[in-house]
Amino acid sequence: MGIRLDQVSKRFGAIEAVRPLDLEIRRDEWMGLFGHNGSGKTTLIRMLVGLSQPSSGQLLLDGDPMDREAWRELRRTLGFMPERIEFHGDLSGEETLRYFAGLRGVDTKTVGPLLERVGLGAAARRKVREYSKGMRQRLNLAQALLGSPEVLVLDEPIEGLDPRGVRDFFALLREGGPRTVVISSHRLSEVCRQVDRICILVDGAVRALGTLPELYEDLDLPVKVHIYGTGAMNGTFHAALAALGAAAVARRGEALVAEVSQVKKTAFLLGLRDCGETIQHLHVEEPTLEGAYFDAE
Amino acid sequence: MPSSAIATVARKELTDGLRNRWVWIVSMLLATSVLVIAFFGTATVGVQGVRGGGALIASLMNLAVYLVPLLALIMGCGAIIDEKQRGVLDLILVYPISTGEYFAGTFLGFALALAVAIVSGFGVAGVVLTLWSGVEVGAYVLLCGLALVLGVVFLGLSFLLSLLSRDRTRAVVASLFVWIGSVFVFDLVLVGVLIATGGELPSGLFRALLLLNPTDVFRILCFKWIGSSASSLGLSTLTEFVPSTALLAGVLVAWVVVPLCLSYALFQRRVANDTLT
Repeated sequence: MGIRLDQVSKRFGAIEAVRPLDLEIRRDEWMGLFGHNGSGKTTLIRMLVGLSQPSSGQLLLDGDPMDREAWRELRRTLGFMPERIEFHGDLSGEETLRYFAGLRGVDTKTVGPLLERVGLGAAARRKVREYSKGMRQRLNLAQALLGSPEVLVLDEPIEGLDPRGVRDFFALLREGGPRTVVISSHRLSEVCRQVDRICILVDGAVRALGTLPELYEDLDLPVKVHIYGTGAMNGTFHAALAALGAAAVARRGEALVAEVSQVKKTAFLLGLRDCGETIQHLHVEEPTLEGAYFDAE
Repeated sequence: MPSSAIATVARKELTDGLRNRWVWIVSMLLATSVLVIAFFGTATVGVQGVRGGGALIASLMNLAVYLVPLLALIMGCGAIIDEKQRGVLDLILVYPISTGEYFAGTFLGFALALAVAIVSGFGVAGVVLTLWSGVEVGAYVLLCGLALVLGVVFLGLSFLLSLLSRDRTRAVVASLFVWIGSVFVFDLVLVGVLIATGGELPSGLFRALLLLNPTDVFRILCFKWIGSSASSLGLSTLTEFVPSTALLAGVLVAWVVVPLCLSYALFQRRVANDTLT
């Protein structure tokens, strides 16, 4: 299922939480939604899952406007993992999942295997109040995965997970075939390589949208080339680097760090062969999405 | 299937309610109070032993007036608002379930949990009383049934208070005010008005005022249906004011329906406007 937001905005009194924006989440696409607190990320997510109505504009499902029937249709195939949820502490993980399975109309026999999949098989009968933060997050994911929904909307899903948990989380998401996924997160570096496209929200507006390479190209964040040589790497060498396209050169410890734009990167690296210095070691530091993210502010 | 969604929510709320220790504490208190009243209620006038008959039913009715609304308000005051604050309601509303189904399931679950607690409280005591005293079983069962309806009335009110409050704490405080107002203050005010007007209050107005308080409607219905104990209930002097049984029953039903409809309308509006706290 593909979802399109057509000039969608959300206003709370005088505050415009989301400015009129167009955004298309294509069928079977994984979209990463990034932004600081107050960027409009959560408001956008709430509109996407139908918890909040847009002040203007409209949502389209597979090209059709979202009327009551379309929402009903979407909800049958929509998994939502909210950022903040406190499941009933007195219920066990299994009881919790059975409850949500009942609400979705999913066979409760699928609950046990699903709990195994998310790594809660052994703790299925323990009360949720005894669960660690990571276990609660897994339970939250499990309820979102009930019935193998075609569309998954995940709000800060890896919050509280350790690196292994993050890896397992994405492995789990990949299971069950292609589906449309929207993930919002603050942990950009861990999420950006998992998604097909990235949307950066700033002050309720889309600041950047595209694939990771497109984003780098659009934002033109420089590559940092760390050069370790045997010689003095003095002023002449600095000039040579500038001639090769380095925008800035600075010494950091034993290395010279040259900042080069993405478009000049290849020519710069090739040019280093003939720059007159013996280069022992090179380390190319690609810009991170955090760089793009903060640069977008 | 709508009925399946309602049943799922109701089952979960019932389980939750039955795991609430406060429900069982009040239920036990109810059972203990019934037995204490039955066995020692006449001790103050020098009569020892088990008491049966109309006087006992009258005492138990007064007990129900105090405890049943309190039990219902305790149970329901966090309804829906608790779910919202924990983030569970938002999640549920993303599931293929309508606000009407969720609301109906929640109320049904709470009402069933309340019924279990009331029936347990009165039931345990009832078995003991049947074995040890000459309690009128029919009257006792009728009292239990009416107490259950009274509980459902206050459960509906607690839902309304819960939705009008921004959090559970405010809902609890509001519930306490409603309980005190309904059980203690209302009748005192009514007596005050009677005294102030020198008893010249038109009977129609007095009747209407009585119907404004569900606990009074419950008392009068008990008087009508368990009439032999009227003098014990202290209501025999009100005969001329008492409306018909059908009207009383209708008013009690209205006390269930109206707060519930208001609660649902409020719930639906606040969900639609995304203004539920």
